[in-house]
Amino acid sequence: MEARYSLTRFGAKSLLPAAIVFSVIHETGPIITGLVVSGRVGAGIGAELASMKVTEQIDAIEASAVNPYRLLAATRILACILMLPLLTLAADACGLVMGWFAQALVEPLSLHQFINSGFKGADFNDFLPPTFKTAIFGLIIGLIACFQGMRTQGGAAGVGRAATSSVVLSSLFVILADVVLVKVILIFFP
Amino acid sequence: MKRGEGRKDTGVLAVAVKDLHKSFGTQKVLNGICLNVATGETLAVLGRSGTGKSVSLRIIIGLEKPDSGSVRIQGEEITGLTIDELGSVRLKMGFLFQHAALYDSLNVAQNVAFPLLHHKREMSKSEQADRVQKLLADVGMEGHLEKMPADISGGMQKRVGLARALILEPDILLLDEPTAGLDPISSGEIDDLVLKLQQEHHMASIVVTHDLHSAKTIANRLALLDDGNVVIEGTFEELQKSDIEFVREFVKHS
Repeated sequence: MEARYSLTRFGAKSLLPAAIVFSVIHETGPIITGLVVSGRVGAGIGAELASMKVTEQIDAIEASAVNPYRLLAATRILACILMLPLLTLAADACGLVMGWFAQALVEPLSLHQFINSGFKGADFNDFLPPTFKTAIFGLIIGLIACFQGMRTQGGAAGVGRAATSSVVLSSLFVILADVVLVKVILIFFP
Repeated sequence: MKRGEGRKDTGVLAVAVKDLHKSFGTQKVLNGICLNVATGETLAVLGRSGTGKSVSLRIIIGLEKPDSGSVRIQGEEITGLTIDELGSVRLKMGFLFQHAALYDSLNVAQNVAFPLLHHKREMSKSEQADRVQKLLADVGMEGHLEKMPADISGGMQKRVGLARALILEPDILLLDEPTAGLDPISSGEIDDLVLKLQQEHHMASIVVTHDLHSAKTIANRLALLDDGNVVIEGTFEELQKSDIEFVREFVKHS
């Protein structure tokens, strides 16, 4: 609604659907998904593995001649890599529907019209690279959370520290990675 | 044929620890410790808290790397091995952690079956379930297969941990304070259980404990550690007769 007000002032109200679509699929959807998953999943993985570490469960896995990095870390990192793009699709869909809803509140517009107008001129290069860059976010979140969890020391306080540092570091690195990836995407998909 | 009957004493020591040193930061924990355990023998490692008993056990199974020294498992040097190379050595060993270290997301039967699922894939599900049930019956936990670790007592957790340590029929059993924190009756039951399982399976065992009574019950030999080194090694009677002041004090207060 704020964007609508600004665009109206500059006489570009008709560009609003396209502005919403492009901002959601290019940046807002991927980065918000990355940050939400950093907070929710990063903290969960960090705390779970840290709890297993301080109660010697990870040592017990290793003593059973099973590689805990393969069993616990590799599976979680892979899950993050695979799920982030799918969650981003869901976030994009929600963002577009809510964008249309906000637009429809002030000016009658069907979803069909909104989508047609918004996606006019868009191609796969606008959609695929930003969506699949979130696989890198998943790699970052999984790696940091697993690393923080599996190197924990110091009982319950250590579990808390691992959960906090997982969220803080993965959020920070997701934002940094986004800056780099946007630049890379602009080079390869101008 | 009972488990363990097929095992032969090849003359090679089951565990040979030589001149082991380990420090954490500035704190020196092990200071040239040497321990030898033959097949079928049980060695109890005693000592005050912080003398490096548990660290020695963790080094023997490869969970800690020593600063220097040698650890040979059935003749094979393990100190330089990677985590994957250690896998085949660890298959020969069972480890009971001080606090059992059961997987809290798995129930009792799943905890015991965990090593089987990863290393005996050729076994059918029913064979695996049979082995788990038999072992849990051996440790007196036959009625608690579906319970979660949080729902059973500390003594029961130790029993389940012991069953998990034995599920792959190891040649070497490492027990880290198997009776710590248990009441005298539960301690006695765990001792009897360990003794029975050792006799049945003819394993080499190293038992780390503070409990001299428990050590006397289950071990052939005792090693007393102080300041990161072995002060005396021998039978319980030899420890009793020792004229080393520290040994006399330890025996007197145990």
